[in-house]
Amino acid sequence: MEKMKKLSKTKSISYAKWGYIFIIPFFVVYLIFTLYPQLLTIYNSFFEYYRDGLNVIGPNFVGLRNYKELFTINNAGYVPIVKYSLNTLILWIIGAVPQFLIAMLLALFFTSTRLNIKGQQFFKTVIYMPNLIMASAFSMLFFALFSQVGPINQLLQSWGAVNEPINFLGMTISVRGLIGLMNFLMWFGNTTILLMAGIQGIDESMFESARLDGSNSTQVFFNITMPLLMPIFIYVFITSMIGGIQMFDVPQVLTNGKGTPNLTSTTLIMYLNNFLGVSKNFGMAGAVSVLLFIITAVLSAFVFKTITRK
Amino acid sequence: MAEVTLKNIKKVYPIGDTEKKQRKALKKSKEENPESNKANLQITDEGVVAVQEFSLDIKDKEFVVLVGPSGCGKSTTLRMVAGLEEITSGELYIDGNLVNSVEPKDRDIAMVFQTYALYPHMTVRDNMAYSLKIKKLPKEEIEAKVNEAAEILDITQYLDRKPKALSGGQRQRVAIGRAIVRDPKVLLMDEPLSNLDAKLRNQMRSEIIKLRQRINTTFIYVTHDQTEAMTLGDRIVVMKDGFIQQIGTPQEVYDHPSNLFVSGFIGTPQMNYFDAKLEVENGKYVVNTDGYKVVLSEEKQVRLKEKDVKPQDVTLGVRPDHIVLSENGLKGKVDVSELMGPSCHLHMTVDGKDVIAIVPTEGKKVDYVNKEVDFGFNGNVCHIFSKEDEKNLEY
Amino acid sequence: MNSNANRNAKIKLFISRFVVYAILIFLAFLCLFFFWLMFVNSTRSNAQLQSGFALFPKENFLKNFYNAWHDGTIDIPTGMKNSFIVAICSALLTTYFSALTAYGTYVYNFRFKKAVHLFILAIMMIPSQVSAVGFIQLAFKFHLTNKLWLLIVPSIAAPAVYFYMRQYLQATLPLEMVEAARIDGSNEFRIFNQIVLPIMKPAMAVQMIFSFVGSWNNYFMPSLLLNDAKKKTVPVMIGTLRSADFTKFDMGKVYMLMLMAILPVMVIYIILSKSIIKGVTSGSVKG
Repeated sequence: MEKMKKLSKTKSISYAKWGYIFIIPFFVVYLIFTLYPQLLTIYNSFFEYYRDGLNVIGPNFVGLRNYKELFTINNAGYVPIVKYSLNTLILWIIGAVPQFLIAMLLALFFTSTRLNIKGQQFFKTVIYMPNLIMASAFSMLFFALFSQVGPINQLLQSWGAVNEPINFLGMTISVRGLIGLMNFLMWFGNTTILLMAGIQGIDESMFESARLDGSNSTQVFFNITMPLLMPIFIYVFITSMIGGIQMFDVPQVLTNGKGTPNLTSTTLIMYLNNFLGVSKNFGMAGAVSVLLFIITAVLSAFVFKTITRK
Repeated sequence: MAEVTLKNIKKVYPIGDTEKKQRKALKKSKEENPESNKANLQITDEGVVAVQEFSLDIKDKEFVVLVGPSGCGKSTTLRMVAGLEEITSGELYIDGNLVNSVEPKDRDIAMVFQTYALYPHMTVRDNMAYSLKIKKLPKEEIEAKVNEAAEILDITQYLDRKPKALSGGQRQRVAIGRAIVRDPKVLLMDEPLSNLDAKLRNQMRSEIIKLRQRINTTFIYVTHDQTEAMTLGDRIVVMKDGFIQQIGTPQEVYDHPSNLFVSGFIGTPQMNYFDAKLEVENGKYVVNTDGYKVVLSEEKQVRLKEKDVKPQDVTLGVRPDHIVLSENGLKGKVDVSELMGPSCHLHMTVDGKDVIAIVPTEGKKVDYVNKEVDFGFNGNVCHIFSKEDEKNLEY
Repeated sequence: MNSNANRNAKIKLFISRFVVYAILIFLAFLCLFFFWLMFVNSTRSNAQLQSGFALFPKENFLKNFYNAWHDGTIDIPTGMKNSFIVAICSALLTTYFSALTAYGTYVYNFRFKKAVHLFILAIMMIPSQVSAVGFIQLAFKFHLTNKLWLLIVPSIAAPAVYFYMRQYLQATLPLEMVEAARIDGSNEFRIFNQIVLPIMKPAMAVQMIFSFVGSWNNYFMPSLLLNDAKKKTVPVMIGTLRSADFTKFDMGKVYMLMLMAILPVMVIYIILSKSIIKGVTSGSVKG
């Protein structure tokens, strides 16, 4: 008999090393392009480090001074981090409240065997579409449509609803409203589809037995659907919040980065973005990032719990 | 076409990995037998010992079956032969070469998996040809080999289908076909029939016997089903908790089970057990079951004498087909009587224990239910096991 | 039961259906209305746009297209080329390497397997903006601004895509298949490329689409990194458009530019909407 090939012998036939080999690319890239920059961000937050004209100031170690600055009243009379956090929160709520109400309603419509909605695929396709639209272009579109000489004002004037064009982009309430509207349009379809999947995941017999027990649809909703849907609802809700914290493209483009009027639509990320612009204020930007990180980490902990629980 | 030798093979799963393995074993055992207890594996400092002291010489072209309850280490042993699991210690030779650290692809083995593990995106032809393509055989040769194997297995008409379009039995054939196209030195089969329904399983069992006559190679076959083991194997290896319990031909294992476990595992319906006393009367060994005395046969007398076995309390085992209804003997009440055609299975309660007897019907219609019957057995068919270590006292 | 109750129930159902369809149609209208206006306005000349509102397209579509395509300040052909490069490369890299990583932690038993998996899940929710400061700083330090690959390579480490692939593997790939391939003589890379990747095709396709759309629309990082007009991607150009002086602009052209910006994604969506919508659920909610 022919002898077994000697060269094929390895030290062991353990495949463990391949596990490491296969995950190397991910971790190398993660370390260089994400983790190291993140650590650098945190490091920066303790330094005075920015550009003033052509001069670079710093880096000088300043301890917690950057954070202190975020939390103290500035010359304009407000606490930056509080103001921008509130802005972000308000903008998120304006969009998220109708988003979740409508999405819940639609999810119930679509899954109702009694209503038996026709054309579901069409409706789902249409309401999900804005989610894929480039947010900056969508925002630009709203800017053009709602400008003083834009089609919306033209329409209102032709109807005689107003005599003078409305300055939508000059008023806090309308700017915030428009941002909320865009966020609503971009996200309610997505939320509908997720909640729908959640409802469909509930065992059909639950509903049937509740019906047989004599519950009406309201009772079924509050006693069966909602409690069983809760984990998914929480998951979707928190991911929406995390998304809200990252709100940037829409208000940035709509207000040209200025958060007009009077910085009432400047979000946290826009604030961060301003430090990264010409001034390259890595110190302050670092401090804002660290706070962002902490907020999202807390929220993510909840999400993490939902997805790892089996 | 090769001998396989396992020398004192041992497999230990480090504690870290075991959790999963145990869970898997537990899940599996639940599927196979809902009432079976969890495997009683030894746990040492190194980890959980799945297989130990496994020594076996498999002759060229032999068909060896590893059989045992789930978690007994039979699959682990097979996977070590395949090279899918590392061997913790011991030596594995295929065809005289030490292959402990040879990768599966260089061991010249093939394997049929329980779930078939066919590649879903490839046609049957490509599934079967895959290993040959990797070996870079010429196209015509691949074609010829695949066609030949397909013919043997009667799957020629399915060659261009995807596995999804096949029935369970057909997939099974493809899985076997994929293994035999390579003319492996050793063909390993891991519970190949357990995903089939009962009827198909019987059919495939005889197909495997036929297959074996057509392709001359060494088979190692793992199953938890003792019927498969008995019908397929030249020799069977009964395993439990990582240890070999007995190695022998099906007949040997059936007639001379080496311990209580083997006697209960092999043979269906299961062997009946009684508490009895081994006594010596007039220089002869006698088993005394509740006053019912049976003198053991001559060959048993010789074996027991050779070992100088002392009178003691024993567990007496008698197979259901060896129980005969008699005038006097042990008394039992028949709870259920199952007519099987030529014979009748009587489920009796004897002293609070369940006892099954198979009695020939001989064409007569007899109603035993709820009746008291007397039964006995002969001295050549009872097995005596030590109460201490559960070993067969004869060996 | 009398027929009266039956009729009442029928009327009730009819009314609720009516209301539900009305709501659905209204929402669908809301979703389409603004895009319809964009399309209509992209077919009107600047003069037509100044003169008033219109609900139906006019004849200047091609003229606006020509003007937008050859605009001096906003070089949309280059922008689209850059966006395509970034989006396609990111989609390919992110799906391939996420599948590879998921396969690594799924199939192989190694010491830190569980830790690695949990770690990736834990970093999944950290917003990319958190690393932006350090990223920008390094990009400037090593003179890597305006390099498109800097937007592409980081997509190799995409925790969310990893998570999706891992779930998919768990559901579809039995370990025995990998072992069968090993016994067939395949090496580990070959097993991944020839056996596992084909099995993962549906998951790869879904993630490729989402990744493509994500990079196509990405604004934050590119706007900070790209200031060379030859390197800008489409969203950055749209941002520049916003900061331009509007009184001098041909608005027909502006609408046309926006239409161009969203067109590739719209085309993909129209073709693949069914599988995209399916992908939304399978990706985000645990199975």
